[in-house]
Amino acid sequence: MGKAINNGLRLAALATTGALVLAACGGGGSSSSSASGSGSAAAGGSGTGTAGGTINVLTLDEQISHLDPQRVYTGVEIAFLTGYLTRTLVQYKFAPGAAGLELQPDMATDLGTSSNGAKTWAFTLKDGVTFQDGTPVTCADVKYGVSRTFATDVITDGPTYAISLLDIPKAADGTSTYKGPFSTDPANDTASFDKAVTCSADGKTITFNLVRAAGDFPYTMTLPAFSPVPKAKDTGEKYDDGFVATGPYKIQEYTKGQKMVLVRNENWKKDSDSYHPAYPDKVVLSFAIDAAAIDQRLIADAGDDQTAAQMRGLQPENLATVFSGGDPRFKDRSVDALDPYARYMVINTKLVPNLKQREAIAVAVNRAEILAARGGDFAGILADGVVKPNLALDYAPSGMWETMFGQKVPDTGDPELAKKLIAESGEPMKELTYQYMNTPVDEKMAVSYQSALAKAGITVKLEPIEAGQYYAIVQDPKKAKELIRSGWAPDWPNASSVLPELFSTKGGFNMGLVNDPTFEKKTAEALGMTDRTAQGKVWQELNKYAMSQAWVVPTVFGKTQYLWGSKVGNGYMWDPYGSMAFGDLYVKS
Amino acid sequence: MSGYVVRRLLTGILILVLLSMFVFLLFSWLPADPAALTCGKACTPQIIEANRVRLGLDLPLWQQYFEFVKGIFFGRTYGSGTATFECHAPCLGYSFRRGEEVTPLILKALPVTIYLAVGAFIIWICAGVLLGIYAALRRGQWQDRVTLGAALVGYSFPSFFIGLLLLFFVVIKWQLLPYPDYVPPTEDPVQFLQTMILPWITLALLFAAFYIRLTRNQMLDTLGEDYIRTARSKGMTESQVIRKHALRAGLTPIVTAAGLDLAGLLGGAIVTETIFTLPGLGRLALQSVLDSDLPVITACVLVAGFFIVIANLIVDLLYAVIDPRVRLS
Repeated sequence: MGKAINNGLRLAALATTGALVLAACGGGGSSSSSASGSGSAAAGGSGTGTAGGTINVLTLDEQISHLDPQRVYTGVEIAFLTGYLTRTLVQYKFAPGAAGLELQPDMATDLGTSSNGAKTWAFTLKDGVTFQDGTPVTCADVKYGVSRTFATDVITDGPTYAISLLDIPKAADGTSTYKGPFSTDPANDTASFDKAVTCSADGKTITFNLVRAAGDFPYTMTLPAFSPVPKAKDTGEKYDDGFVATGPYKIQEYTKGQKMVLVRNENWKKDSDSYHPAYPDKVVLSFAIDAAAIDQRLIADAGDDQTAAQMRGLQPENLATVFSGGDPRFKDRSVDALDPYARYMVINTKLVPNLKQREAIAVAVNRAEILAARGGDFAGILADGVVKPNLALDYAPSGMWETMFGQKVPDTGDPELAKKLIAESGEPMKELTYQYMNTPVDEKMAVSYQSALAKAGITVKLEPIEAGQYYAIVQDPKKAKELIRSGWAPDWPNASSVLPELFSTKGGFNMGLVNDPTFEKKTAEALGMTDRTAQGKVWQELNKYAMSQAWVVPTVFGKTQYLWGSKVGNGYMWDPYGSMAFGDLYVKS
Repeated sequence: MSGYVVRRLLTGILILVLLSMFVFLLFSWLPADPAALTCGKACTPQIIEANRVRLGLDLPLWQQYFEFVKGIFFGRTYGSGTATFECHAPCLGYSFRRGEEVTPLILKALPVTIYLAVGAFIIWICAGVLLGIYAALRRGQWQDRVTLGAALVGYSFPSFFIGLLLLFFVVIKWQLLPYPDYVPPTEDPVQFLQTMILPWITLALLFAAFYIRLTRNQMLDTLGEDYIRTARSKGMTESQVIRKHALRAGLTPIVTAAGLDLAGLLGGAIVTETIFTLPGLGRLALQSVLDSDLPVITACVLVAGFFIVIANLIVDLLYAVIDPRVRLS
């Protein structure tokens, strides 16, 4: 597929080719990404690498936010850590496109065994899995690692699926009665945790007892949050600095703000690991490089940069250089594809309970202008829901802008239809407030929302919020206003990590405060389903249902672009994490 | 003289204490909630409150400041339950954003900034003063005009422009130097020089331009003084007149400016360090401000303030050495 392919064709092609996506999300809306697309397939695949050499990775970040497996939660960092340093029970296949979404056992012998209606899951560890000092990894180490997630006052920033999924009682304030392994409180409910996570007598099999059926639990096991940590070497808050590797590499040198050098872990046994190809002898991750300089170095493709890959995407100002001119220098070493993020505006259902009024807001939005504000065609394509086309099994066009409102809604919005819907709502539209992150792009979008809604007679007041505390404010029901800028990427390639999170009362990102019994019932059914195809159909229906209720106004399905050096092999967009597949990269001879 | 120095040092300590108090107050007035800033995406009110306790932000401001000062002299304990850890004195705090103690962070960054500032200082002071003298002695001639013109151009270009220009052409396009990768001079002197030469030039170009003009103007002022005419009429050579009388008298404002400029740079050259990926105090300070990382910001302000205080003292002491008319009391 050429780069000039139009958005509609791309969308249809992606859906029909069954390109799936998943992406670990987190980190406050950073631009980490995932996708499948034309570039992936063109750029090569896995399984063809040669050993040796040094892979250089360039990033503008000052450091890896967390090496601590229970604290890392950014897709691109998980891709880096699981590729080289941290083994998980299960992980995604190294492959471009939809094949990259297949699960493969890593530390576990298989993809897990479920029982009790998918409420109990067991995983058995392979023989020969060790920490970097040669100590064998046991079930107890994995269990201890999982327990750390519960220490929310020490182990911060990481995913909290262990807390929400494991069958451990909740206190009156909604927090777990188990407070993690560091607590000295005598009331700490360790007994419940010991019941929820058990180890077999031989220390090889770990069993998770869940509070609800979870047909997609093996996907959850791809998160490093379910990785082992040796209790004797746990330094709590400071484990980032005392991190113990289990993967094929270990850290030889790590200077934050400068570089991290990985060398082969001599205690890693290839026999115990059919997952990691471990091609290069050394990996050098260079930090704090100016974003423009990274792009220029990769474009110049000289010296050590020929074996370099970038951790974050290309800067907008360089996209035309790389993709628009058909320059043969970049043809086989670049990718332009959908990332995992769906962008949308939340409509707070507690403050705008009238469906007709929510519909009026949705049809009034100038979506074409929002896409332009985000950067135009390179930034993404127009969205029709919160489930993206690259979640193929779970995606079907929602028809939101074609038929849902009784007539086609143009990309530029339809203020007249909005006025009609307000009239039908039976009550006057009050003044609304739009909360957004105080960044230049969000500011442009805010102005667009304000002016588009004004054309429909809706007055919108703008409320910019500093980036660092944005989610703390908009996720607080007392501080959330009527309209909220948001975006979401699934934590694994199943809409189970999208729809329930965004629209269920138990969801962690239900900023619209949706409480819909019909949605809750169907969601609960879908979550317990182990027939993936049948489950996908339910998600398709629920995505359509959510759009029909105008709980959000979907705007953009995001895209990301990467460039790498000419001597880097297996460069492709790895859909699970929306990043390059660092663990699969090799140096071409 | 010694009484003067002691008084000045005590004043300096008082200034540093006031500075640290001011930074604490400033951050307490900011609308940003540091507990919320460290919350991440999976944020709940319970996690924010737990963060507040973890960061010590639940304590009254005076107590937070007291804990900070206590840590400098006696160390502090962080963490909760069995996950506590010691930050040994002199403990300037713990950065929860970076997961590191602040004192080692500062100690790692400081040498980089010192190498950068001192190297650039040597280049700019030599080039600036010599070219300034040269321009003054060739007043009105083409050499004077060319030097002043070049200085004006150098002064007009901001450091980020010069830095990026050098980086893109010398390193990326022409590949005359490898990409900056800082190592201490003791570890690899060649790589150190390869990394530092462009940052030195970037800073020196900017500052030298100012010193050329300053030196030239000072020289022209003093060369027109009566005592210079007297010295010449006594039969001193032109070289002696310049070295012993004109330059010495004209040096006082140059020393003042140089002392403060060097001290300012020792607090961190934010733009240059960022462009050339130098892990110095400037970049550390910038990143900490962007992260609202109060412990690191406070430490960076104290270090920068320390250098300014010391530089002021040294400059004042140098006055007496350079100009016999100045007496310290």
